[in-house]
Parts: sequence; structure tokens; C-alpha cells
Amino acid sequence: MRSGHAVEDYRQLVALSDNPITWFWVGLLILLLLALPGLVPTYTLVMASAVGIAAIGAIGLNLLTGTTGLISLGQAGFLAVGAYTCALLMADYGWPAEAAMPAAAIFTGLLSLVIGVPSLRLKGLYLAITTLAFSLIVTHFILYSENLTHGPFGVRIANPTMLGMDIASDVGFYYFVGILLLLVSLFALNVMRTRIGRAWIAIRDHDIAAQVMGINLVHYKLLAFFVSSSIVGLAGALTTLRLRFINVEVFDLLISIEALAMIIVGGLGSVAGSILGAAFIVLLPEGVRILLDFLTPEMKTAYSNYVYEVRGLLIGAIVIIILRVESGGLVGIWMKTKRYWINWPLPI
Amino acid sequence: MDYLLNITASGLVLGAMYGLIAMAFSVIYKTTGVVNFAQGEMMMLTAYIAWSLGMTLALPFWLMLPLVCVIAALIGGLVEYAIIRPMMGEPPFAIIMATMGLAIVIRSLTILLWGVNAEGFDASVKGGLLEIGPVVLFSEQVFALAVFLLVSVGIWAFMRFTRVGTAMRATALDESAALLMGINVRRIHSLAWAISSIIAALAGVCFALAFSRSPSMWFLGLQSFPASILGGLDAPLGSALGGLLVGVSANLSEGYIGQGLKEISGFVIIILVLMIRPYGLFGRRDLERV
Repeated sequence: MRSGHAVEDYRQLVALSDNPITWFWVGLLILLLLALPGLVPTYTLVMASAVGIAAIGAIGLNLLTGTTGLISLGQAGFLAVGAYTCALLMADYGWPAEAAMPAAAIFTGLLSLVIGVPSLRLKGLYLAITTLAFSLIVTHFILYSENLTHGPFGVRIANPTMLGMDIASDVGFYYFVGILLLLVSLFALNVMRTRIGRAWIAIRDHDIAAQVMGINLVHYKLLAFFVSSSIVGLAGALTTLRLRFINVEVFDLLISIEALAMIIVGGLGSVAGSILGAAFIVLLPEGVRILLDFLTPEMKTAYSNYVYEVRGLLIGAIVIIILRVESGGLVGIWMKTKRYWINWPLPI
Repeated sequence: MDYLLNITASGLVLGAMYGLIAMAFSVIYKTTGVVNFAQGEMMMLTAYIAWSLGMTLALPFWLMLPLVCVIAALIGGLVEYAIIRPMMGEPPFAIIMATMGLAIVIRSLTILLWGVNAEGFDASVKGGLLEIGPVVLFSEQVFALAVFLLVSVGIWAFMRFTRVGTAMRATALDESAALLMGINVRRIHSLAWAISSIIAALAGVCFALAFSRSPSMWFLGLQSFPASILGGLDAPLGSALGGLLVGVSANLSEGYIGQGLKEISGFVIIILVLMIRPYGLFGRRDLERV
């Protein structure tokens, strides 16, 4: 634990982290994740891939909601756009996954500008309702334009490969998601310490003050929508590659709420928080199952019947508790603990 | 022509339910500045309680309805006391998310307690057919319209003529000034939640009578957003009117333009309204002072 740490030159100030201990732990974590396929059963890998995809989506949403302060209830809609773009390009137009994935990301980003434009006049609550409406309209469009989207029948894609990698296998897909998550995290971390990221944070804290300081709101809000939705679209495309069969049911409204729950539980405006939160929410039902197995084996069948309801109950309760007790989320709890021990025995 | 009149009439019935929930939204928003994203879920919960009272305990309808209103008021007050009041002053995002958390809790709880199956709801007001010229309506649809009219007039009269209603309007206008005038603002907030829950409960009972009580009823809450946005989130009567407009336009677009537009037309309206006139038809324009 470091204390009495002083930043002495400019390079230290702008570094991603100037702490060798942080780099050491991150390196160890990456090594562990690289070795994971040899250590654990396939099922764990599948769960890890699911966590990775959710984390990419959460990072995207966090750039919009946590960093720029624009509340989005349209996560399900953006995911659906990304997933369907990727799936339709691959299934109906014969695009390779290498081309379909970036296309899905960019198309989602461009489409989000449609919502971005009204967002220039709206904030808070009204923006939340607009994005919700967008999400419902997207699902409706997918369901009723059968010629383009196969409507209620869903889309099936063949086993994909990516740059010679077999991403249809569980191990291959795990590595693929891992690499993308690393790239997206680095991108988000870096973007937040550039002029763009600082402008977003200024807009979140007070948009009128930001405008007075010379930040072009139109430009930066639209950019936030584009970047965030492109990342979410990428997560959508990954969902397609993971499931290989998608329909509208996958992109239920609950997904939007869960995504917001992820960034609230993890920590608003924090990349590490997005990943932690995604892991927490995705693994929650598993955790409860293991705990129940351990405590009362008889409860097992009752739980498997009502797994969605128990999950909803827990997610809702956790969101309320986090908002009431510790609004910084898991990352906030970690920071507080750290500060407590650095300052001990003095109060924080 | 008969077709047009009939779908307009059933649009009005649908709109009455939208309007009731939209009123419930706007009573809370006007008074406390919070949008209750769990409104649809609270409506579903009270409708389920009403169903249990009416079908399982076999209470007569005229006894069940007031009882449900009391229970709804208690639930509304409890939610305000336990979740919303301690969060006052926090950013709107936190409060919105808390109500959403509440929404999924209630949704899950309802399924855990009552199961996933939809059940019919029988009551003494149900079963008749009324013919008004070429328009044919079920008696439960007429009941929904009657409830809608009564509640609208009731809310108007309450806000306009009673002491508490005046205090509520004063709180909505300026909370600190109301506090200085000796109004118990906390109690007014609780009351707003209680009133809004009662309105939502009535909407829930009407909906359950007209269709069935089912675990997807909460969606009616989301579908009522357009009504509230169109009429103005801080205008209860405007929201009521917005409900009728949205209901009729939903039915007309479904009947004349294309299948499935019923669910979606309201949300198209939302986006249009928010782009052109974000404070709605009857809402008060917000000016931001820095």
C-alpha cells in the first residue's frame, strides 16, 4: 500500500498508472486469464466469455452514462442493432466475421446519432425515456420487417472463424473475447484522459458550465453517443458470434436495466468498475446456485424453476442498496477501504 | 364508418387506462419531481391483490374496490417512506435507477407469489354488452371509462378546491416557499405517492377486468409514458387527455396502417413530442438558471 505519494513530473501525471505495483497485479491477472483454459472446466470458460461480452457492453454504456452523464435505457436496442447487423451480414450477404463485426459496430454508432440529436435538447429523465422508446422501436422493427430481419424466426449463422482463429470453439472464443475486452478497456482508459474524455466529464458535471468553457456540446455529446454505441454494437456482434442464433427475445428490456445495474454496482465512470459490475451481475445466479447447493440441497429444484425471478429480485435489491449506501459502487468501496488503511489511525 | 367508430371507442377505453396511469405518473412528478418507473409494477401488484381479494376470498366488488385503494395507498406511502425519501436531493439518475430496481423486484416478487399464469378476473360489473348506436362496448369497458372520468374530475376538484390540494400545488410550485408557509412538505410527498398508487390500482383493476391479470401487465406502465409526455409530465389532467389521444391514435394506426403499430405508435409520439415540445402540450416550460 502506497502512501505519501507525490507526483513529480508531467509524465507521471498523464501515465495510465505510474504505480509499478498496479502494473504487476494487472500483468499477473492477464497471465492468469491466459492460463485459465488449462485450469478450469469448459463451463467456466463459457461463463467467462459471457462476462467478457457483458463487460464490453458495460464499458460502452459507462462512457455514455457514467462519463458523459447521458442516461441511456436503450442498451438492449443498441445491442440488438449490433447483433442483427452482424448476423444478417454474415447469414444473408455472406460477409466474413472480420468485416461484419466492425460494420456492426460502426452501423450501431451511426444509428445512435438518430437518438443523439434529440439528446442535445434533453437531459436526465427525458433522455432516458427517449432511449427507452428507441429501444422498443428497434425491437418492433426487427419483429415486423420480416423481409430484412427474418422477423420472429431469428437469424442463424454458420460457425465463424476470425483471422484464422477458430472462434466457434469455447477456448478460441474465450481468447477472442479476452483480447477484445483488453483492447476496449485500453481504448476507454485512454480516451478518458484525452481532451475528449475530459470534455465529457465536464459535460457530466455541468453542461452549461462546460459550454461556457468552450466545449462544443453538440460535437461532444454526439461523439459520446457514437463511441459508446459503437462499443455496445461490438458487444452485440459478439453476442451473435457466441450464440450463433439470435432472435428478439435475446434483447429483452431487462437487458437495459441489467446493463445500468452493472455500471452502478461496479462504479459509474470507471472501466474497472464496468468489468467488476459485469462479472458481478452475470455470475450472480451462479453464485446463488452454488450457495444454495452448499446450504440446502432441497432448494435446488425450486431455485432452478424460478432462477429468473430470484435473479431479478436480487439485482433490484442490490441496485437499491448500492444507491442508498455506497453510490460509488464496488470501486468506490475499494477506494474507501484503501484510503482508510492509508490514513489509519486517522479518520478518512 | 362503423369500423372507425368502433376502433375509436375501444381506443378511448385503452386510452382511459393509459390516461389513469399517466395521471399517476404526473401526480408524483408534479409534486416531488420524481418519475416512478415502477408505476406499472405497482399497478400490477395491486391488481394481483385485488384479484386475490375478489376471486380467492370472494369479496363482493363494492367492498373489494375500496379495500384495494387502501392497500394501494399504504404501498405507495411505504415505497415513498422507505426508498424515495432518504434519496431526496440525490441526482435524478440515482432516483430513477432506484425506482427501476424496485420495478424488477416487484415484477419478480409477483411471479414468485402468484406464478406465471394469466387468470381471468370476474366481477359483478362484468359481462354485459352495451350498444350505443353502432358502437358496441362491454360493460367492463364502460366501467373503465367511468372510472377514468371520475378520477379526472376528482383530481381536478381535489387540486382546485381542497386545502390539501392547494398545499400540493404550492409544493409543486416552490418547495422551500411551501415549507416556509408551514406546509408539511414530507407529508405532501407521501400523500402524492399514495394518491398516485390509488389511481394506478384503479387502472390495474380496470385492465385486469377487461383482459386478465397476467405477469406482463407491468408493460402498461411503459406504454403510458407517451400519454404523460404528450400531455405534460407535470400536468395531471393534461396527462389524462394525453392518454385518450395516445389510445385512439394507437388503435387507429393499428387499424389503418399496419399490424403491431398499437404497441409502438406511442413511442413514436414520444420521440416526436420530445423533439418538438419536450414539456408536452400542457406542461410548464422549465427554465434553467445557472
